[in-house]
Amino acid sequence: MDYPSDSALLARLLAGEEKAFRELVATYQGAMRAVAFAIVGSRNADEVVQDAWLAVVRNLEGFQGRSSLKTWLLTITANTAKTRLKHNRREVLLDDLPGPHGTIGDERFAADGHWLLAPHAWHQDSPEALLTEAELRECLEKTLGSLSELQGAVLQLREREGLELDEICNLLQVSLSNVRVLLHRARLKVFATLEHFEETGQC
Amino acid sequence: MLSCKELVAHSSDFLDGQLSLRQRLAVRAHLAMCLRCRRFIRQMRLSQAVLRQLPREPIAELDALAAKLAELRRRQR
Repeated sequence: MDYPSDSALLARLLAGEEKAFRELVATYQGAMRAVAFAIVGSRNADEVVQDAWLAVVRNLEGFQGRSSLKTWLLTITANTAKTRLKHNRREVLLDDLPGPHGTIGDERFAADGHWLLAPHAWHQDSPEALLTEAELRECLEKTLGSLSELQGAVLQLREREGLELDEICNLLQVSLSNVRVLLHRARLKVFATLEHFEETGQC
Repeated sequence: MLSCKELVAHSSDFLDGQLSLRQRLAVRAHLAMCLRCRRFIRQMRLSQAVLRQLPREPIAELDALAAKLAELRRRQR
């Protein structure tokens, strides 16, 4: 097996060890949910994840370790979601819903492309320090909640689950250029929220 | 020479390693001269780190699900 850290866990899963399944669900369900969200939307995402888990258990013996366990799980999730969708795939919504604190838009720049309103230095320069503020955490959750299902999923898979861009494209069947656009716009909205919070101290 | 606005437009691709060599050099040349864009990129990286460390939602019924899956697996053997 090419992914040695997976093989110990796999052996325990094959043996039906409950703690191993707990570990598996705790580690990967967040990313699986994001994939399901992007493909079928929030209403059916939980059901897709449940079905995907059943498919995972059914196919566990067939897992050959040619990919990482994570990639395998996410592929099963994407396939489960697509089956459910039965080719009724929604249009990729490139144009996005406005974030609660806007974005870094054209109004921040002068006609010659120089900053008109450059970002200020933030009070905190570590993620730990920023996240000690409960209000900022809530504020960020709000911004994340304002993203479209696909955009939120792309951001989560990239920033929180550490997937490569081409993995995201393959799983969600969205082109690389669309993934890049979705990701960039989402990041600017998150940036605007942090900036707003750092400048005003409130959400 | 890249403008600040263009730098911002390229910033995600820069952070994700999606730029061509030539574009990357243009971004680096701009950053070497522009304090405000350096700050912007630093804060973009900080935003990424904040998202990474944002506490995760606890998984509902984790134990029940794990028990069910383990049981299913044992029945297959």
